Amino acid sequence: MSWLRISLAAFAISAALPVHAQTVTITTAGGDYGNAMKEAMWGPAAKELGYDVREETQSDGLAALKMQVTSGAVATDVIHLGSPEGAQAAAQSLLEPLDYMIIDPKSVPDGAKSDYCYPFDSYGTVMSWNTKTYGENPPKTWAEFWDVAKFSGRRALRANAQDSIEIALLSDGVAPADVYSVLSTPEGLERAIKRLEAIKPHVAVWWTSGAQSAQLLKDGEADLVVTWNGRAETVKADGGAADYTFKGSVIGTDCLGVPKGAPNKEAAMKLIAAMTQPARVAKLTDFIAYGPVNPAAYEGGLIPEDRLKALATAPENAGTSVFSNSEWWVKNGEAAQKAFDEMMSR
Amino acid sequence: MTVTPDPALVADARRERRFFLSLSLPALFIVGLAAILPILWIIRQSFLTTGGEYTVGNYAKVLSSGLTWSALVTTLELSLGTLAICILLGTPLALALASARPRVANVLMAFVMLPLWTAILVRTYGWLVLLRRDGLINAALTGSGLTAEPLPLVYNFTGTLIGMVHYMLPLFLLPVYAAMRDIDPNLIRAAASMGATLGQVIRTVIMPLSAGGIFSGSIIVLIYSIGFFITPAVLGGGKVNPLSTRIERTLSTFQDWGSASVLGILLLVLMALIGVMLLAARRLLAQNTVEASAHA
Repeated sequence: MSWLRISLAAFAISAALPVHAQTVTITTAGGDYGNAMKEAMWGPAAKELGYDVREETQSDGLAALKMQVTSGAVATDVIHLGSPEGAQAAAQSLLEPLDYMIIDPKSVPDGAKSDYCYPFDSYGTVMSWNTKTYGENPPKTWAEFWDVAKFSGRRALRANAQDSIEIALLSDGVAPADVYSVLSTPEGLERAIKRLEAIKPHVAVWWTSGAQSAQLLKDGEADLVVTWNGRAETVKADGGAADYTFKGSVIGTDCLGVPKGAPNKEAAMKLIAAMTQPARVAKLTDFIAYGPVNPAAYEGGLIPEDRLKALATAPENAGTSVFSNSEWWVKNGEAAQKAFDEMMSR
Repeated sequence: MTVTPDPALVADARRERRFFLSLSLPALFIVGLAAILPILWIIRQSFLTTGGEYTVGNYAKVLSSGLTWSALVTTLELSLGTLAICILLGTPLALALASARPRVANVLMAFVMLPLWTAILVRTYGWLVLLRRDGLINAALTGSGLTAEPLPLVYNFTGTLIGMVHYMLPLFLLPVYAAMRDIDPNLIRAAASMGATLGQVIRTVIMPLSAGGIFSGSIIVLIYSIGFFITPAVLGGGKVNPLSTRIERTLSTFQDWGSASVLGILLLVLMALIGVMLLAARRLLAQNTVEASAHA
């Protein structure tokens, strides 16, 4: 007990002493992605702020966050999550509200805004195809993806309602801006599920991991594959007979949040603001093909022209896209997934 | 006349027995820690809401869902299918191994065991290379003109079954082979010398004497197959969804620990039921054999 008291006292004293640099802990997904974030984003930001930033890595950020907050032992100040997980975490009151006095609210487009988890980069769920099968005439829209008479061939989709039901509605003629208002009605969800059921006999594989979708595309196991742009880009860059389009893509984002009860809340907000400056999120694309959410990062030639083409949120790519709506998924995800699973088991 | 044992010897024996029992304590401790505690935790979890209050809602939700029952049917189809193929392929193979010369049997056994030394993920992806649309098997089939179109061998029920049988066959074979090898060859010679045909020898001598091995093998196959996850996830192409993939979905998409625990308990109950049924069947069969030989 006394040891605990002494170390607590020591901790309190060291925290109160101004000579110590501010310490902030960030939890990322690690791997190539985590390194890219360190090199481009929080490394330079920490230097600028004079912070001593410590990195921890977690493959399942939400589970780690939930454990830390519910056990009352919050060790991290900034955590990297997928936006749907960020919204889920917010719904379970695991995150502090973002301080938009410190973070620039204008740095996020309206469709991607969140009060709890700051979206900083994005990826697209895109249509990709085998160039050997379709040559110069691949399907160009989701409606054509569904047109099995005109474009015969085996399809591969993700075994998950997420993004699939959005795509199904786009293929049925719903405008990108109306997708979530249509999905919010019971008939709208049913319409999307019916649309998926219609393509089901032509789906050779319902994939469960991004790596698997890339393999299907590379091996020619499927001719038309719904996958993530980073995966399609890798297959293409590796010399696979594959191409993809951002037309009609569903854009998902990753975000940064501050756990409820984080030890250095204010410093965490400042770090988020500094590490997501346009030049830094633009720099991230040097390392990984995930485009910034902040429109300012696309100005002033921060991202090289040829790199821009590989990013889901590049201005020329974003026109026909749908921003995945995390709040919608938190509210309706379970019902949508259930309807999807029932369609699969029929 | 009864011999009164030396009390010192009795005490000795008792001490020895206690010593041996105490030797098993570490193992019991580990089993308790690694198997029984988590099961108790899962049982508790299945009665909790996400907020941590007690409820039977998870059971109501899982048991009233059509998805649970279709997953259960898929689980049973997969495991019974795997078992049936293992019995059809494994029993003759074990018979051949048991009757081969020891040197040949050893070599053949090594081939059978080889898959066991390879990681399941590697083997599963290996099957993909063989079975996929432009894989080795389809290339051979279409190249030789045997089939016009590539056969749908993988990303479906067939592919999953192939992968599962490949994994389970050695584990089925071991107890069956052991039982058949232990059959006294004199019994077979005796039967043959009395004029029994090969079929009669197999039916009346070999099968009854190796029934124990076949039952043990079947229990192993069923209990493993019921919980198979990687094989259906990789070779099933998202179309084959047994209870294990249902559990994964419940956890990863919904973080619904309560419902996932209920599904886990459902799997446990299924295993227990199958175990009890097989043991009962075995006892019944043993009784019949005894009666049959008594009547003979």
